[in-house]
Amino acid sequence: MDLLERDRDLQALATALGEAAASRGRIALVAGEAGIGKTTFVEHFLAAHGRDARVLKGNCDALFTPTPLGPLYDIARQAGGKLAVGIEGSAPRAALFSALLEQLQGGARPTILVIEDMHWADEATIDLAKFLGRRVAEARVLFVATYREDEVGPHHRLRTLLGDLAGSRSTTRIALSRLTIDAVRALVAQRPFDPLLLHRQTAGNPFFVTEVLSSAGHGIPATVRDAVLARAAKLGPAGRTVLAAAAVIGGRIDPGFLAAVAGDTQEGLGDCLSVGIIEAAGDCVAFRHELAREAVLAEIEPGRRRELNRRALDALKAAGGGRGDLAQLVQYAEGAGDASAVLELAVAAAKAAVAVGAHREAEAQYARALRHSADLPPAERAALFEAHADELAIIDDLERATEERRAAVALWRGLDDRLKEGENLAALAWPLVRSGRNAEAEEVSRSAIEVLRALPPSRQLADAYRVRAHLRMLDRDRPMAVRWGRKAIALATRLRDEATVAAAEMAVGSAILVTGDDRGRAYLDRSIARASRLGQDAMVGLALLNIGTSYGEQYRFPEAEQVLDQGIAYTSEHDLDHANHYMRAWLALVRVHQGRWSEASDLAAALVAQPSLAAISRIMVLVALGRLRARRGDPGAAAALDEALTLAAQTGTLQRLAPVRAARAELAWLEGDKARCVAEAKAVHALAIKHRHRWHAGEFAFWRRRSGERVAVPAWCAQPYRLQLKGDWRKAAEAWHRLGCPYEQARALAEGDAAAQTEALAIFDQLGAAPAAAALRQHMRGTGVRRIPRGPRATTRRNPFGLTVREMEILACLAAGLSNGRIGTRLHVSPKTVGHHVSAVLAKLGAASRGEAARLAREQGLLPQNREVGDAK
Amino acid sequence: MPRYMIERTFPDGLGLTPNQQGNQAATSVIANNAQQGVTWVHSYVTPDKKHTFCVYDGPSPEAIRKVAERNGLPVDRITEVRVLDPYFHM
Ligand SMILES: Nc1ncnc2c1ncn2[C@@H]1O[C@H](COP(=O)(O)OP(=O)(O)OP(=O)(O)O)[C@@H](O)[C@H]1O
Ligand SMILES: [Mg+2]
Repeated sequence: MDLLERDRDLQALATALGEAAASRGRIALVAGEAGIGKTTFVEHFLAAHGRDARVLKGNCDALFTPTPLGPLYDIARQAGGKLAVGIEGSAPRAALFSALLEQLQGGARPTILVIEDMHWADEATIDLAKFLGRRVAEARVLFVATYREDEVGPHHRLRTLLGDLAGSRSTTRIALSRLTIDAVRALVAQRPFDPLLLHRQTAGNPFFVTEVLSSAGHGIPATVRDAVLARAAKLGPAGRTVLAAAAVIGGRIDPGFLAAVAGDTQEGLGDCLSVGIIEAAGDCVAFRHELAREAVLAEIEPGRRRELNRRALDALKAAGGGRGDLAQLVQYAEGAGDASAVLELAVAAAKAAVAVGAHREAEAQYARALRHSADLPPAERAALFEAHADELAIIDDLERATEERRAAVALWRGLDDRLKEGENLAALAWPLVRSGRNAEAEEVSRSAIEVLRALPPSRQLADAYRVRAHLRMLDRDRPMAVRWGRKAIALATRLRDEATVAAAEMAVGSAILVTGDDRGRAYLDRSIARASRLGQDAMVGLALLNIGTSYGEQYRFPEAEQVLDQGIAYTSEHDLDHANHYMRAWLALVRVHQGRWSEASDLAAALVAQPSLAAISRIMVLVALGRLRARRGDPGAAAALDEALTLAAQTGTLQRLAPVRAARAELAWLEGDKARCVAEAKAVHALAIKHRHRWHAGEFAFWRRRSGERVAVPAWCAQPYRLQLKGDWRKAAEAWHRLGCPYEQARALAEGDAAAQTEALAIFDQLGAAPAAAALRQHMRGTGVRRIPRGPRATTRRNPFGLTVREMEILACLAAGLSNGRIGTRLHVSPKTVGHHVSAVLAKLGAASRGEAARLAREQGLLPQNREVGDAK
Repeated sequence: MPRYMIERTFPDGLGLTPNQQGNQAATSVIANNAQQGVTWVHSYVTPDKKHTFCVYDGPSPEAIRKVAERNGLPVDRITEVRVLDPYFHM
């Protein structure tokens, strides 16, 4: 077959392969509607270039609930080695992923790795692609992923992956277009079809066009389905029998298996092959196209379809279907209407899915099992509800997680199993608090302890204490968090439950640290050490997150920055996206306060564009954006902070509401609306005082006083605010300066004498704080200050590569030939963090080595100006 | 996508050279814009060439500032705007 109108796309893919061969791994995303020719395109490419490379190819299947890591089974079969052994032996997925990566890095020739039909991918396969996408840059790999663009809506789970990959410089996008009238004319050739009509009717979809042409019928069918059925109509009875069986079986079909389902296939299969609706694919046969299978399947009479599913189920069971066949078995069982088989198989499939982290598929299988569980004994049913609730919580479907957990509680209560009842009550607190239903979470956590206390001491009780400590910590209630946390630690230690000890230490440590008391750090460090020993990456990430954000909440920005950097590096290494996003949101906020606004802006802009951002991360990044826009006088501050308020209101907690309200008060002030400023500052001021939050209470008092209200300022409020409220602008400015907050420093100086005001103006101008600068200029003119400096000189600084300030510093060090260790010492960060920055710099410059980066830096004149606002004082 | 008006000041006047360097600059501006999903619609310049008013389409003010930074162009003020057509109400 000739491949029409794909020369440019083939060229793009060949270029990517060339790059990959030179150790600059590439990702190619091949997209287009069903039947546009993705498979054909990739096959042609492989036929032309397959000899220069090793080819590994996997397919995602079109099951209702896909097989977890389905494509990896295909790939493992071709790659052999550790990967093949691992996947048969149910190795954990981290081991499978790195086995694949290892195989990709080895080998004399580059590898072309193809995963087809990613719109059907299971969650674990998407994670695999994300894992590869983040690591191919240094491997000799061309990773080709195909997907149907029109089936990937804005909320499709593939979107996150695409967003992830699109940001990478290693990604090539290939969008296949429909055939033009010229191509259709060429395909029609001598046949008795009107090319214009055919082109119009098919819109140039290659599958549709070729299907019509080979139906050799009369006239042009209206739809793809009609075209397929017109072709199928040419079959005799034997052919139809085989065709129906093949449509039910699906995918690539072993002829022996087909015979087991369809009976004698001798004549029928030959018919299908000669009509061309089924094609040979290696030693298997397959429908020419999935669209054809769907059309045929829809035509089979229901009783007949059940019967065929029954036979397929029995045949696959008899063939000894393994872990990779479970999802398919479930689908046959469901098609056969065999409830008890569905129940048994779906539970097995769910467990297999959990094992490789395909939580969405696990959820779907548990839900299916529960639909068929009416006759199950209550204890077994309760266990199913528990497992389902676990999966729902992991995939963030909190409402259903809550429902299923409550169902489990009710069943255990009915069975009078108090231990299980208590365990599930404690677990219920988690989805509740994550969806912002804090009061209900409190209540169930209290009942959990009540129930479990009546029984002998148990791990369940220790965990219930731990949950309670965590809830109190989130509510910034230090004494109670510490009290419950210590109980949890004592009991869990006695019962040798290390994981609960680590989690409880984290809750206690965070509760203490967030009040500004460094003694919390020791608990957190112990928690990190313990969690690392247990291999609990997620807990390590969470502990780093708690340390970094606690410092941030206390305006301890240098420490916050250091720990957040470390946490961001750790979580991206371990693919812990939620924690990673939350820390990046916080880092953006830290950068706003540090006056490093262009970095804040980069971080925040990248993050808000993330499609799957959790609410808490979104709130914090919106606060950063809102403050930044307000201070720069940019549009969109109100929109960001309105959205933040809606989200924060759902949580009802000080931790979320206070930052949002404070940012809104600041915006109102800058817009000259004092009444609104007071209203915003008042909203949760009392709550901040109740929690004795030094910084929030200080800032709210500051805005209210500024807007003309008389408010008391407790002595425990944060010192810089207290000084400023006392009228001691000089000391306040010094305090802000020591904290590394230039904007707040200038705001204090602006309250001082003419000299201080002039200094404030210089800082505002340097930051690009237009509204504050304009207000101050007007004020100075009004009070008769002479010689007010004019506006900022237009900056002509050139930074064509978009390096951040930190990266400019790193680049200067690179140019000076310093090692990562030396750079770290100079800039007060760990060598690992330096390594991170260095890779970012190389990537942005497109430089292959440190030497090349240094040369570019000199050539492009990037070196002289490596200082910016915030540092320049 | 929102539309923004960007005001810029060039104390020494806007120097546009129709030579190769100028072309290169324009090409790199367009490439930088595209990377951020920003489109330069058009600009007005005052007769003394010291102030420009530029209309841009872009996803956010951050993206607008980012391309300004990369292109080495100053930003005084960004305002979100909509088209008001004189014939709209007729
Ligand atoms: N460039 C082309 N020139 C001529 N014929 C083509 C071209 N591309 C595809 N075809 C024809 O269209 C048919 C459908 O293409 P293909 O199976 O590759 O689509 P696909 O995009 O992979 O669809 P799906 O999304 O369903 O997997 C092919 O069997 C082939 O006959
Ligand atoms: Mg295909």
